[in-house]
Amino acid sequence: MSETTPTNAPQAPAGPRWAAALGALPHCISNSPDGAVIEVEVAHLHAVLAALRDKAQFELCTFVTCIDHYPAEPRFALHHQLLSLANNDRVRVRCVLPGESAPTCTDLWPGASYMERECFDMFGVRFEGHRDLRRLLMPEGYEHHPLRKEFPHQGIEPDRLYREWDRKRREGWTEEA
Amino acid sequence: MGSLKPVGAESQESQGSGFFATRADFLINWSRKNSLWPMPLGLSCCGIELMGLLGPKFDLARFGAEAARFTPRQCDLLIVAGTLTWKMAQAARTIYDQMPDPKWVIAMGVCSSSGGMYDSYAVVQGVDSILPVDVYVPGCPPRPDAVIDALLKLQKKIEREDPLGRLVGPTVAPVGEEGTGELVFQPNHGLPKGPWDKHAHDPKSREDLGDPAPRKTEVKP
Repeated sequence: MSETTPTNAPQAPAGPRWAAALGALPHCISNSPDGAVIEVEVAHLHAVLAALRDKAQFELCTFVTCIDHYPAEPRFALHHQLLSLANNDRVRVRCVLPGESAPTCTDLWPGASYMERECFDMFGVRFEGHRDLRRLLMPEGYEHHPLRKEFPHQGIEPDRLYREWDRKRREGWTEEA
Repeated sequence: MGSLKPVGAESQESQGSGFFATRADFLINWSRKNSLWPMPLGLSCCGIELMGLLGPKFDLARFGAEAARFTPRQCDLLIVAGTLTWKMAQAARTIYDQMPDPKWVIAMGVCSSSGGMYDSYAVVQGVDSILPVDVYVPGCPPRPDAVIDALLKLQKKIEREDPLGRLVGPTVAPVGEEGTGELVFQPNHGLPKGPWDKHAHDPKSREDLGDPAPRKTEVKP
């Protein structure tokens, strides 16, 4: 066995390896129990994500999700969790959204498409530049976003779409008969 | 009630060529209840128990209901096994509509019976708000024994049915001006919900369900 350090040994300070990649982009690094968190503004979110992917070898976007801080304003905070297989490193990018729109990251990680669709479905965050921003889990035509804090957990007329479909179906039958 | 006892076997003429005498509705119900073809609609963990039920250990073939077909066109028993969401409700109703008459429904497990623990915006609070259910099976998930019990109960229910009345349905039954005065028993018809069944968002308590209202029989003094 050679005397080189094993590649999966814990890297001593995790910050500097990718901190240089961010360069002059305005950001703020903090530590959480889950690891390092980079806080950015929404204007620099896409540039920071691109820099982390291209210069710091974060090849994977583990998840994209949102946290609703209602009734605080601004209420939505977008979270991107990134994973670097080359460096065995993880980082989270947190971005407080001033409104309900955010830049997409599907041009960087195409696999983030479903996660952004789910995020749009559940929170109503619109991802600018997403090619196909449809609902993922709730049926099409549903007009609420269930994981928002003001949404009642028993729903608002949860059967409305089914009843409309059912009414059309019954009317169609009577026309045929 | 009819029977399938051989008649005339003890007489001298008919020995060796026995025949059966029975009632037509009994014979129809007898043949229906002993060859139920289930359509397994396995939606969640109840589907695993349903696989065990159809397997050799619990052996639903003993009761004539082992021929599970995965097309509704060949089935007459819909087993809703699992959590039904409102998004899936259209598919479930379409499956039920595609099954040929006569057809029966077993709601297997608490999720399909009442929504279970999912008091949620996404889950149908009991499939009886979209389908007419014959037998409910409690349990989360119920053991296959419980579903066998439900099947036996359903067979007893089919025994008591009126095949012709099931065919013509409840709405065209002849009603005089004073009513018939007797209860028209429709085994597969949904029960009207009472005020004790109300829930904050229960769709079954709403009026636009499309089911025909229970027929009122006015009694003149």
